[in-house]
Amino acid sequence: MTIQRLFLLASMVFLVFPAGCAKKADNAKTLSVVMGLAEEEWKVMRENIFPEFEKQYQCRVRHFQVEAGDFSKKLEAMVRAGNVTVDVFSQDNMRLAVLVNKDLVEDLSAYESVVPAEVLPAMREVGRFNGKLFFMPYRPNVQIAYYNEKRLEEAGLEPPQTWDELLHVARVLKEKKGMGKVGFQAWGDGPTTAQLYEFIVSAGGDPLLLNDTGCGKAFAFLKTLYPYLSPDSKKAKWDTTNTYLANESFYLAQNWPFGVRIVMRDYGKKEIKTYRGWRGPVREAHVIGGEVFGIPKGAQDKTLALAFIRYFQSKEVQEKLAARLGWPSIRDDAYGNMADWLKPHYRSVKEALEHGVYRPNVPYWDEFDKLLNEAFLRIVVQQGDVGEILNAYHEEMEGIKREYSR
Amino acid sequence: MNIRDRACLYLSVAPLIAYILVFTFVPVLCGVWLGFAGKFSGAFPSWENYRYIVSHFQFRSALLNTLIITGVGLFLELVAGFFLAFLLTKKFKLKGFVRALVLLPLGIPTIVSAATMRSVFDTQGYLNEFLYRAQLIRVAVDWGDGGMKTLFAVVVSDMWKVTPLVMLILLAGLESIPGELYEAARVDGASALGTLRHITIPLLKPFIVMALVVRGIDAFRLFELPLALAGRGSPVLSTYAYFEYMDYNNPNTAAAAASILFAIILLCVVLVVKTTTRKVLGGK
Repeated sequence: MTIQRLFLLASMVFLVFPAGCAKKADNAKTLSVVMGLAEEEWKVMRENIFPEFEKQYQCRVRHFQVEAGDFSKKLEAMVRAGNVTVDVFSQDNMRLAVLVNKDLVEDLSAYESVVPAEVLPAMREVGRFNGKLFFMPYRPNVQIAYYNEKRLEEAGLEPPQTWDELLHVARVLKEKKGMGKVGFQAWGDGPTTAQLYEFIVSAGGDPLLLNDTGCGKAFAFLKTLYPYLSPDSKKAKWDTTNTYLANESFYLAQNWPFGVRIVMRDYGKKEIKTYRGWRGPVREAHVIGGEVFGIPKGAQDKTLALAFIRYFQSKEVQEKLAARLGWPSIRDDAYGNMADWLKPHYRSVKEALEHGVYRPNVPYWDEFDKLLNEAFLRIVVQQGDVGEILNAYHEEMEGIKREYSR
Repeated sequence: MNIRDRACLYLSVAPLIAYILVFTFVPVLCGVWLGFAGKFSGAFPSWENYRYIVSHFQFRSALLNTLIITGVGLFLELVAGFFLAFLLTKKFKLKGFVRALVLLPLGIPTIVSAATMRSVFDTQGYLNEFLYRAQLIRVAVDWGDGGMKTLFAVVVSDMWKVTPLVMLILLAGLESIPGELYEAARVDGASALGTLRHITIPLLKPFIVMALVVRGIDAFRLFELPLALAGRGSPVLSTYAYFEYMDYNNPNTAAAAASILFAIILLCVVLVVKTTTRKVLGGK
């Protein structure tokens, strides 16, 4: 048994030793930041954004990648365990309600003056819940339309400005190519919801009702359009749409502006252009997305976190983000350093923002998201009955709203 | 063995048991518990989540797809695995190279094979390109449009990845059958089909059971391939639970779906093991 005892002792030493040896690496203040970015975006953060902040505030920025969809669960675990290791986080503006409902974020109302006066007024409201400010903006986003100018010209087509023109373009391309060439982000979840939201509002509907006249019109139109769409639409979301535009599976599709650099610069598809998109039968509407910063309940250095947020909202940083990453800015005065080739695309962004619509931050957004996606699947993909299906989902939605209001 | 030695022994295995309890049994129990907890009321026990998913068209579709993919996939993998294993029991030139080549997909991470298969089954993928150049199609086939075409793409992709494992198990079985039995059968004038039916398959049954159990569990849990190739149009139980949890922030229904998947796997393993071992051992 001596060998067994020795083994046991060795195991215990092995387990205990690293804990005993652990010590703090240095005494500089550290700010832990969570964001959900692509590697190219992290590179700009590491090389062009964080170092200046570290210099100004004599601190070190530790950054972590967490996808927007995962963050609320991770933060909830941290807050419930009383071990919050994140000082500041960025989050998609459609995933904020759950953080407020679960009491996971600090009320920042007392620090509202931190937000610079130049920040677009609508952007401030994204982070407000029941009159209290919980989140501060740093990155707006809006859907624009991308089109392959060369291929549309070959087919004798112009970028569509209305729904009727959109249907015409989709039909002609399918007839000429044998396969649909207009893309729709039908992968499901957020990407599909964003597109559906835009179509419903353009038809004068209230998406949260699911069965008003506008909703009916939008679903009926999409049901007609769907057979003429590219089959890759089913796999299209914000990232794959770039690939499908680049490999010419799509000649026309909506996406967020970050795709401009990927499609035109990385894939070298100079023939792809952008414009603000099409209008519906009632109005023109483009969904506004974007990201905001929040501070978790129990964060260790709130002052430094607020300084970090203020730094990101500064003209200097917003200019760098616009010029290096092509991100739209929350400030109107931050487009000075933009490269010439990017300027036409940012005209599209600015024009789309003029017709921008915000999605409401309701606590039942996840349930709504699911029902809207299911309605899309049953009506548009499976070509089901518009009225009957929408009425059923309306009833279900009303039940969910009642549960939340209890 | 005295008490001290015994205590020392138990102490040595205690961390492993604690690890399994904490990181396997507790999460499984928590998952089952979550499935029986009401989403809004938190009431326990409640059938609310199970009632919801059973009546949900996506869940029913996921259940059917899972059963089809598992059933068809297992059958094809067994047939292909047997054929390959049988081939590798023969002597031929470059046998080592062929064996390495056949085993290669086993070493490729599933997510990588999913990405590869996506480029094969994409509308602008290699398969459509091949079919087009061979003048078998004029317009690209949409392999991801749901229905049997999509399930076929998932089954073929899974087969490519895991048939080598089935082949290895069956090869071990084939090589354990004594050559004298085949010799005796040949002397008695048995045909090739008769030898296969009365010698090879009966003696291979324990190995077939093992392949069925090992692969069956995996086939039910298939996740990356259906996610990449079929998306939401043709969900399976694992992707259904994933979408419920990740996209719609609904851990209760996700847990209920995962519990059903767990119960199906458990039931199938017990059934397969019980029926086949009874048949294998029954005559002895």
